[in-house]
Amino acid sequence: MTQDNRNMIVAVLMSALVLLGWTFFSEKYFPPAKPVVVASAPIAAPSATTPSATTTASPGVAAAVPGAIPVAGVVAPVGDRKAVLAASPRVIVDTPRLQGSINLKGARFDDLVMTQYRETKDKTSPPVRLLSPSPVIDAWFGQFGWAGPGVPPVDALWTASSTRLTPAAPVTLTWTSPAGVRFEQVIAVDKDFLFTVNQRVANGSAAPVNVQPWGLVSRHGEGVEKTAFNLHVGPIGVIDGTLRDSEIEYKKLQEGGAKTYATTGGWLGITEKYWLAAVIPDQKEKIDARFASAPGDQFQTDFLGVPIAVQPGKIAQTTAHFYAGAKEIKLLDGYMTSLNVPHLDLAISWGWFGFIAQPIYKLLSWLFTFTGNFGLAIICLTLIVRAALFPIANKQYESMAKMRIVAPKMKAIQERNKGDKLKAQQEMMVLYKTEKVNPLAGCLPLVLQIPIFYALYKTLLLSTEMRHQPFALWITDLSAPDPMTPLNLFGLIPWTPPAMIAIGIFPIILGVTMWLQQRMNPTPLDPVQKQVFAIMPWMFMFIMAPFAAGLQLYWIVNNLVSIAQQWFMLRKYPMPATPPEAITVKPGTVKPTSVK
Amino acid sequence: MSLAGRVLVLPIRLYQLTLSRIMPPSCRFAPSCSAYAIGALQKHGAVKGLWLALRRIGRCHPWGGSGYDPVP
Repeated sequence: MTQDNRNMIVAVLMSALVLLGWTFFSEKYFPPAKPVVVASAPIAAPSATTPSATTTASPGVAAAVPGAIPVAGVVAPVGDRKAVLAASPRVIVDTPRLQGSINLKGARFDDLVMTQYRETKDKTSPPVRLLSPSPVIDAWFGQFGWAGPGVPPVDALWTASSTRLTPAAPVTLTWTSPAGVRFEQVIAVDKDFLFTVNQRVANGSAAPVNVQPWGLVSRHGEGVEKTAFNLHVGPIGVIDGTLRDSEIEYKKLQEGGAKTYATTGGWLGITEKYWLAAVIPDQKEKIDARFASAPGDQFQTDFLGVPIAVQPGKIAQTTAHFYAGAKEIKLLDGYMTSLNVPHLDLAISWGWFGFIAQPIYKLLSWLFTFTGNFGLAIICLTLIVRAALFPIANKQYESMAKMRIVAPKMKAIQERNKGDKLKAQQEMMVLYKTEKVNPLAGCLPLVLQIPIFYALYKTLLLSTEMRHQPFALWITDLSAPDPMTPLNLFGLIPWTPPAMIAIGIFPIILGVTMWLQQRMNPTPLDPVQKQVFAIMPWMFMFIMAPFAAGLQLYWIVNNLVSIAQQWFMLRKYPMPATPPEAITVKPGTVKPTSVK
Repeated sequence: MSLAGRVLVLPIRLYQLTLSRIMPPSCRFAPSCSAYAIGALQKHGAVKGLWLALRRIGRCHPWGGSGYDPVP
């Protein structure tokens, strides 16, 4: 077997491995968008040990250590949300963007939907539910309280000053201890996703009291979304100015135990791809931040402030915030400044190249408001980025166009020095000089472009605005894969092909444009590489098929720009009519551009 | 070669076998930046090898040098 044949087999095997591996990988980490399962049907109680609805809010799971925050969830969530919501008195939450209620049993934020975000692209579909009460499957809630002797229990029944919380009308919740210490939580909400909770202790007893304010976000189960190398889902926080995400994954908390940090200020909570519930302590307050798991798939992130001594007749107060909503960059940035919270913007998992991705996100956002169509905005954004990179790319294409003119000579050199790659390369360099061909544009431009394209990709991956946004024709949701596949004659045949081969029209265009673009590159001299080149566009067609249509659109436009740019260069430096062997380089036939 | 060197060579080999194959040729030098990086890591170890490789990529741009440039 010759070396080439062996290489070929290796290449084919590797391609197959990448293709299959990718499918496995993408299904594991980028599951196709499933409709959010809303647990509205009652789940049968699995056993007699399941706590009944009346004991749900008990601290019960792990015996609360004195001074520590009780674990607020329950082991086995059961029950129908409607029934659970009806089981305790509530204060209605009604804002332009949020609807739900606060549970007076515990003063708990455990019922919240985002009215402007829908579960599916159908505008009449139910709004996306963020918070859900315990003990419902996927319970997710926030709560504030105090630790210490004589404080309200975690399931204390609070008295509300009114029945409705709106941006214009805050609500005060009150609980008075038998000893006469009055605890108050003044809750205000803005027009977006921020609750402000002013926690007050008025000591009406004869003795001083010691209290430690706390706040928590608790969640049952990990939800359908999974964390991946490019997207963090789960417990999250900024402690000491540093983003904590991968070190506090669900699995790590379950296997490695709780993580605690002694710090000042910061924020912490639990996030999904688009949504976040987080508690924000007073930024001057010294806290113990904790990320923990409890039996029964429960997770809790909480902070505990320092003890405050309240003398008889005195009032002590602290103010914390609760963010519950979509991770809209404008909002996060705004709160970051107005509340002076460090790095609230890192709730969006920007990754390493956030410093490039954030401006790109803002530009995309602006283009969206400017054009009114998210698909058009993506096209404009791609064109702008390509325009910025034009000089570098042009240099690359120019040298490639020229290179193909001397390709036959290069081939001759390679054949002459088959055994000696080094000598071949040395002769090639001599050829560049004699033929006055510019060497290639180099590796640095490519290396520099990687972060930019990665940032663009992240932007499209994370953008809450792209959710359910239509482009044109059959693309009605840019954040979902292209739904039209020729395999079932574009839906005419009532048959859903297996996900792996059900590629849509966009991925096919992507493959074709990539193939066209590669045809404009100089033909690789290495036969193996030639084969790999031939397979690649079609492999990418499969690899990209399960991705969001918006991402595919960006890639297609990018390919088209490359094709146009290369086509121009190929016309500028056409192949000479005479066979290259016969050419003697005359000044003027090839413009020398190397020395600058 | 040190363990760190071996660990660093691995992703470069992977790049040569995958990404490098699908991208148009771009390097101005011989040996190419990736081959140079592997050579440098093998000859000079992780720290110096990495530094040499980064410097080489830093030179590999339209206004930089070109041609035969072996690992020192």
